[in-house]
Amino acid sequence: MTNDDPRFVPRVLLTKSFIDSHDRAIGTIAKALRDDGMEVVLIDYRVADEIAGTAIEEDVDVIGVSFMSGGQVDTTRSLVQALRDAGHEELPVVVGGTIRPFDIPDLEACGVKAVFRGGETLAAVVETFRTLALGSPRQSAVD
Amino acid sequence: MAIDSSTTTSAARVAWERTVKDRYGDTDFVTINRSGVPVQPVYDSTDLAARGLDEAPLPGQFPFTRGIYPVHYQHQPWMDLQIIGYGMARNLRERMDLLDREGGARGYFGGAAYNIIFDMPSSMGFDPDYPGVEGSIGDAGISVCKTEDYEVLLAGKDLTKTHFSMVCNAGSPAMFALYVAAAKRMGFEGDQLKGNITNYIYDFFGHCGGMNFSPRGSYRLAVDVGAYCAEHVPNFGTITFSEHNICEAGATNVQAVGLALASVIAVLEEAQKLGLETDPIAAGMGFHVRFGEDLFEDVAKTRALRQLFAKINAERFGCTTNGALRARIHAQTAGSLATAQQPRINIIRNAYGALAAAMAGVNGMTVNAYDEALGLPTEEAVTLSLRTSQIIAEEQGLKKVTDPLAGSYYVESLTNDVEEAVLAFIAKIDEQGGLIECIESGWARAEVAASAFEWRREVETGERPLIGVNRFVTDEPEEHNVFRPDPAVARMAIDDLNRVKAQRDQAACDAALTRLREAGENVMAGREIGSCTAALVDAALADASLGEMQAILFDVFGTNK
Repeated sequence: MTNDDPRFVPRVLLTKSFIDSHDRAIGTIAKALRDDGMEVVLIDYRVADEIAGTAIEEDVDVIGVSFMSGGQVDTTRSLVQALRDAGHEELPVVVGGTIRPFDIPDLEACGVKAVFRGGETLAAVVETFRTLALGSPRQSAVD
Repeated sequence: MAIDSSTTTSAARVAWERTVKDRYGDTDFVTINRSGVPVQPVYDSTDLAARGLDEAPLPGQFPFTRGIYPVHYQHQPWMDLQIIGYGMARNLRERMDLLDREGGARGYFGGAAYNIIFDMPSSMGFDPDYPGVEGSIGDAGISVCKTEDYEVLLAGKDLTKTHFSMVCNAGSPAMFALYVAAAKRMGFEGDQLKGNITNYIYDFFGHCGGMNFSPRGSYRLAVDVGAYCAEHVPNFGTITFSEHNICEAGATNVQAVGLALASVIAVLEEAQKLGLETDPIAAGMGFHVRFGEDLFEDVAKTRALRQLFAKINAERFGCTTNGALRARIHAQTAGSLATAQQPRINIIRNAYGALAAAMAGVNGMTVNAYDEALGLPTEEAVTLSLRTSQIIAEEQGLKKVTDPLAGSYYVESLTNDVEEAVLAFIAKIDEQGGLIECIESGWARAEVAASAFEWRREVETGERPLIGVNRFVTDEPEEHNVFRPDPAVARMAIDDLNRVKAQRDQAACDAALTRLREAGENVMAGREIGSCTAALVDAALADASLGEMQAILFDVFGTNK
C-alpha cells in the first residue's frame, strides 16, 4: 500500500474530551480530512473508554483528540490506557489545540504520535494523518 | 432601514465619483467585511440620507443605538472584568488580591468587580470526584463545588459593593445557588447582591462543553432562574447571550448577533408561554460581545445589537421598562485571533479590540492576556491586559465623549447595514419555527461551522492576513513563561468535598435534595416558575454539592446527549 494507491482511504476518528469546551477546530479538521478523501468519524465530547471503543468498532487508522480547557495529559493518558486494555495499543493517537509547553513531555511519554498547537496549516495536519494511517495494521492488511 | 437609492446625490459626491472614474477606470474598491456587508471606499452624507439616518436619537434615548445612558464614561467608566480562575478558592483569592493591588478590580462607583471562570468540571456541574475529571480540576478555571468555597474566596468582601460575574455552562443554576447561599451565610440578602451568571445552559454551537441541558429544558430552566431573581436577587444578571462565544465558534458577526437575539426571543417566548410578564425576565439579560477582528465593524455590530434588543423587546414582547430595553454589554477581546506564534503581538491585537469596545460604549471589558494561546495567563500577562484598559481609559481620552463615532458616515451606514443583515438572518430562523427548532435540526450549528471553515480557508490561502501565521512569520523559537496551576489541587478538592459531606447534617441535605426534585418537576410541568431556583438555594444552604444538585436538574430537565 502506498500513499497514491486508490485503495488507500484513511479512516480517522476525531473527538474532544467529555470534559472540555469549544469544538470549532475539530469540526474544521474533520472537513479538511474529508476534503482530502479520508473517511472521518466525528464524535463529540466523549470519555476515554467511549473514544477507544468507538475507534475499535469503527476500525479507524488514527485517532485525533482536540483540547481547549484543561485536562490534556490526564485524558490522553486514559485514552492510551483504554486502547492498551482493549489490545489496540498500535492505534496512533494525535492531539491538538491549546497544548501547553509543560504538557508536551508527558504527552510524548504517553506515546502520542503528533502534537498540533494553534497556527499549524491544515495541509500539515492532513499530511500527518495520512502518514500515520499508511502505517496502520488495517491498511497493511489490504495488500 | 433599507437603502433608498432614489435620494438626491450631493454635487460633491457626483464630482468625486467622476474623479474616481477618470483616475482609476472601472477598478472596484468595494470590499466585503466579516458580516458579509459590502463596504464602500468612502461614505458621505448621501449614504446617511439614503438610509434615512439624518436625524438620530441621542445616547440614552430609544432604541439606544448610541448607548444606554444619556452620558456614559464621563459619569461611570467601564468595569474591568479581567477573567480569572484556577486552582481552589484560596489559590484564586491570591489572583483577586493581585488585581486589587494593581487597580484592576474596578467596578462601578468605587466598588470591586471580579469575573470568575470555572474549571470544566465545575462549569458543567460535576463534582471533583466525578469519574474521569481529575486532570481538569483547577486546570483552566477555579474548582468550586460547595457553598463554603465562596465563603473562602470572598472572605471579608463587602458583597454590596462587589460585582461578581460568573462564567459558567451547564452548572450555572446550581453554581449561582451556591453563591447566593454563601452570601446569606456571610450576612448579605439576595437584594444586596450584584453581578451576573452567564447561564450557558444549552450547548448551542459546541462551545459550551459536551454535556448540557436539552434545548427545551434549558429555556424552561433559564426562565425559572430569571423569575426567581426578579423577585429575590433583582440586581443580578441571570443570563448572558454570548455573541462572543458564537463568534469564537466561527460565526460571522451577523450570525452571532442574530443567534444571540434569537436566544433572547426564545427565552421571552418561553416566559410568555408560562404566563409570566416579560419585562422582569428581559431585565436580567445581558450580552457578551467579541471585539478585535475589525474595529469599525465591531463598533457597528454593537450599536446594531443595542438597537435591535430594544426594538425586538418593545415590538415583539411589549416591554416598556428601562432594564428590559437597554442591552448591557460585556466586551471581550477575541481569543481565537490570538496566535501561539509571536505571542507578544497579541498585546497589540487585544489593545485594538479594547479600543473598539470603548468606542462602542460597552459596560464592562475583558482584555485577554497575550499568552492565552499558550495556556493560562501569567501574572505579568494579566497585568499588561489591565494596563491596556487603563491606558485607554486614563490616557487616550475615551472617557470624554459618549459614542464618539456617531455621525461617521461609515459607522452610521455600517450600523444600519449590519442591522438589516441581522434582521434577515432572524427572519430565516423565524421561518423555520424559531431557534429551538433550528438547534434541534442542526441548522444553527451547520451555519456557524460553514463560516468557521471559510475563515480557516481564508487564513490558509492568505486571503485573510494573520500576522505571525501567514504574514511576517519568524522561525526563531521563543521562550515564554507559562502559568501552571498546582497539580495537587485535584486531590485537595476531593478531600475538601469529602470533609464537608462528612460534617453536614445529612438528613437535612437529603430532604433539601428531595424538595429540589419536586420543585424541578413542578417547573418542568409549567407550575410555580421560580421555585426550582429557590429550592437550589435551600439545598446549597444545606451543603448539598454542585454535582448532587446538577444530577437532579439533568434528570428533570433532560440533557442534550
